Amino acid sequence: MAAVELRGVRKAFGRTAVIHGIDLEIRDNEFMVFVGPSGCGKSTLLRLIAGLEDADGGDILIGGAEVNDVPPAGRGIAMVFQSYALYPHMSVYENMAFGLTLARTARHTVEDRVRAAARTLRIEDLLHRKPRELSGGQRQRVAIGRAIVREPRVFLFDEPLSNLDAALRVAMRIEIAELRRQIGATMVYVTHDQVEAMTLADRIAVLNAGRLEQVGTPMDLYHHPANTFVAGFLGSPRMNLLAATVTDVNGAAVTAALPGGGRVRIPVIADGVSAGDGVTLGVRPQHTVPAGDADAVLPGTVFVVERLGAETFCHVRLADGQAVVTQAAGDVRVAAGDPLAVGIAADTAHLFTGDGRALPRHRRHPLAEPPAPVTPAAAAPPPSR
Amino acid sequence: MKRLLFALLLAAIVFYTVFPFYWAIVSSLKSGSALFIVEAWPADPTLANYAAVFRGQPFGRSILNSLLVASGVVGVSLALAVTASYALGRVAFRGRSLLLLSILSVSMFPQVAVLSGLFELVRALGLYNSLWGLGLTYMIFTLPFTVWVLTTFMRELPRELEEAAIVDGATPWVIVTRIFLPLLGPALAATGLLAFITAWNEFLFALTFTLTDDRRTVPVAIALMSGASAFELPWGQVMAASVVVTVPLIALVLVFQRRIVSGLTAGAVKG
Amino acid sequence: MAHGSALARERRRAAALFLAPMLAVLALVAVWPLARTVYFSFTDATLGSLDSYVIVGVENYRWLAEDPDWWRAVRNTVVFTVVSVTLETMLGLVIALALNARLPGRGLLRAAVLIPWAIPTVVSAQMWGWMFHDLYGVVNEALLAAGLIAAPKAWTADPDLSMTAVVLVDVWKATPFMTLLILAALQMLPRDLYEAARVDGIHPVRVFFRVTLPLIRPALMVAVIFRTLDALRVFDLMYVLTGNIRETMSMSVYARRQLIDFQDIGYGSAAATALFLVVALITVTTITLGRVRPGGKGGSG
Repeated sequence: MAAVELRGVRKAFGRTAVIHGIDLEIRDNEFMVFVGPSGCGKSTLLRLIAGLEDADGGDILIGGAEVNDVPPAGRGIAMVFQSYALYPHMSVYENMAFGLTLARTARHTVEDRVRAAARTLRIEDLLHRKPRELSGGQRQRVAIGRAIVREPRVFLFDEPLSNLDAALRVAMRIEIAELRRQIGATMVYVTHDQVEAMTLADRIAVLNAGRLEQVGTPMDLYHHPANTFVAGFLGSPRMNLLAATVTDVNGAAVTAALPGGGRVRIPVIADGVSAGDGVTLGVRPQHTVPAGDADAVLPGTVFVVERLGAETFCHVRLADGQAVVTQAAGDVRVAAGDPLAVGIAADTAHLFTGDGRALPRHRRHPLAEPPAPVTPAAAAPPPSR
Repeated sequence: MKRLLFALLLAAIVFYTVFPFYWAIVSSLKSGSALFIVEAWPADPTLANYAAVFRGQPFGRSILNSLLVASGVVGVSLALAVTASYALGRVAFRGRSLLLLSILSVSMFPQVAVLSGLFELVRALGLYNSLWGLGLTYMIFTLPFTVWVLTTFMRELPRELEEAAIVDGATPWVIVTRIFLPLLGPALAATGLLAFITAWNEFLFALTFTLTDDRRTVPVAIALMSGASAFELPWGQVMAASVVVTVPLIALVLVFQRRIVSGLTAGAVKG
Repeated sequence: MAHGSALARERRRAAALFLAPMLAVLALVAVWPLARTVYFSFTDATLGSLDSYVIVGVENYRWLAEDPDWWRAVRNTVVFTVVSVTLETMLGLVIALALNARLPGRGLLRAAVLIPWAIPTVVSAQMWGWMFHDLYGVVNEALLAAGLIAAPKAWTADPDLSMTAVVLVDVWKATPFMTLLILAALQMLPRDLYEAARVDGIHPVRVFFRVTLPLIRPALMVAVIFRTLDALRVFDLMYVLTGNIRETMSMSVYARRQLIDFQDIGYGSAAATALFLVVALITVTTITLGRVRPGGKGGSG
């Protein structure tokens, strides 16, 4: 197992820069997820670690050693591809054994490792089959098995679940989480799906346009987004971002004037913001509260009601034309055209400077602290299922 | 009405494409003066022309020559083209598209443009009037063609498959021989068949670089067939020979049509 | 790709090794003979004395420019190419559109249409030579019976008809190639495009010219270029069907006649070189005008 370190890594395709100098440390045994919109460079970054692309600048270190000039097979990595990339003319066994055979591993070692991986993944009965005779989920398992038998220091996953249908995706996600507990290796996982990112990651790196926007634990990113991009990217429906103006600043809080005339005093560090500045107020739909319990309200009119059964999303138009989404109970009595005052709680609201930077909170969310180090689970018994 | 017109159009198309071959079969089954009567099917079909074709000249030898040259040329071309097409289709290097275009343009060469130079070469190598010489000269069109077609097939193979092999530690040689070659089976069959047909049908080089009857290939034999009289071709025999060399080709084409669609990689990528 | 890494270096080194044998063979059988042909065109070499000759400069080209038979061959080749390729394209479009319709037995139909393509040129020339026979040919018989001609015609020997005969055979033989390429392009067109046009009530003819034709244009251009280059070097067809007669002699037939029959390697090489230049010029022009990149998609034929 090994840590991965990126130092000022840059990459361009022709004249288009896709990675703009990224510094990142992925700790030993950590499950790191790269997430971001399509084209943000997350897959390129993974391929740079794999050695399938060459960095135009900067260093990549695996286990403390620079690997810039080491070919992929020598980096101690294994990769699981989006399309699985199983060799179609080889059986499942041959697929899993191919890399070891090329490395001239003794035959019984190959056999032991393939059988052990097959047992872990419950594909022992499929070893003689060809990939085309497998279902999508089975192919995915074989692809993971092929990675496991290499006993890599780092596992790389490139959107491994995006070719599966929704139900299977959820099942495989849980299996990957479980597998991760069993083999406990450093894993880097690329996805555009924020649910996968939130549920699987020890830490998430949010990328946008070739730059790192923020790195942190899922709850850290959710409760303390560093900027409006991360705030808007994680969480569903996305966080409401409203234009507001600072009216007062002191050591304990920043007070902002809201659309519709109200004011709210938010306990953040001013960090260079002063009265009169334009700021962005961020409120997650889940964090709106009944007007009676609120520190401030945004009066408006409901224009769309989306009922999901367990919850209801009300889309509210404010007097100045801005729209706000609020989450309410599934059986709330509300209809389009109704007036509604959206309540804000100061301790869950966010303030961002004019250029999108978050003003830091005085008190951090209790779950938003770094996780306890993961113990490799040699001791953990395989699941009984 | 519309459907009737469409059916008529289709019938006309089929008649147009098939009739000459049909007529060759009909004519080949007639002998003597029956040949000069126009009728849809010979009143008295006979295989005499077929017997005469093989008795009158070493036509069996010509068929063997064509087979040897065409299959030899296809084998060598494919062997050289597999690795070359990997380099051209999947490795990024400067000047790649220019190289590819140059190779394509060689296959478009007018054969006459290299005739005197090739003549000199063939004679210098002592390969005049030999099947080896013919095989060598045929490389000028089979090799660029196979390289070109295999390169497009190579490009279509999924990139992730190659990357998985790279991560597994495969060298380019291993990727070509153990990953791509098995997947290219249908493509090789299709390409080889097309090259085979081109080589089988070639006329100008075979006419120029061979001299004696026993070195002739099928097209030359058919073109130079002559009868007892210098003024009149033995049409029945010419038609019989034509049918003999065309039937296997048509059979090959029918098989090839199905080959071209292959679902081998379907299992590897996506659902 | 960057150029520094071990992986990229290894791949480029392998690519060079992989290409070397193929390029060596092509250099031997294509580049070298072509260079020798060009070289011979400036000499008075003959077939009998390929190694003792005198450099005569552009003498051969001067003769060539003054030979009316050469210019006749150039004209024949161009006329043959333009007429045949035009007819093949139009006919190929019609047949491809017909075969693109969903109908029972389409596979069999397509196979039937392919037959002429599989038949060697020499064989098709002989088959049609027999059908065009002046006394017993089925073509004359049919035309006489239909009352379209009053007396049998000597299709392959009559100076006014021989080129028509040659074109007819070429169209028959080469249309399947066109049809196949066009059909392949047609089958890649998205079906919902046509459904949308149907829903919008656009007339099928209009759909063809406004939607289908522009979309298959790249593939069509590639097919036309391939066929044009093929037609410009035509040899077998004339050699077998009409022999050396002046009315149908192509540039290739002319050049080979000088080279082999008259054993004049110097002069024949000049004709061959001229042919090569004409073909090269036309290729470059068509590719530039047609804005076609054979390296791009659709060039898989």
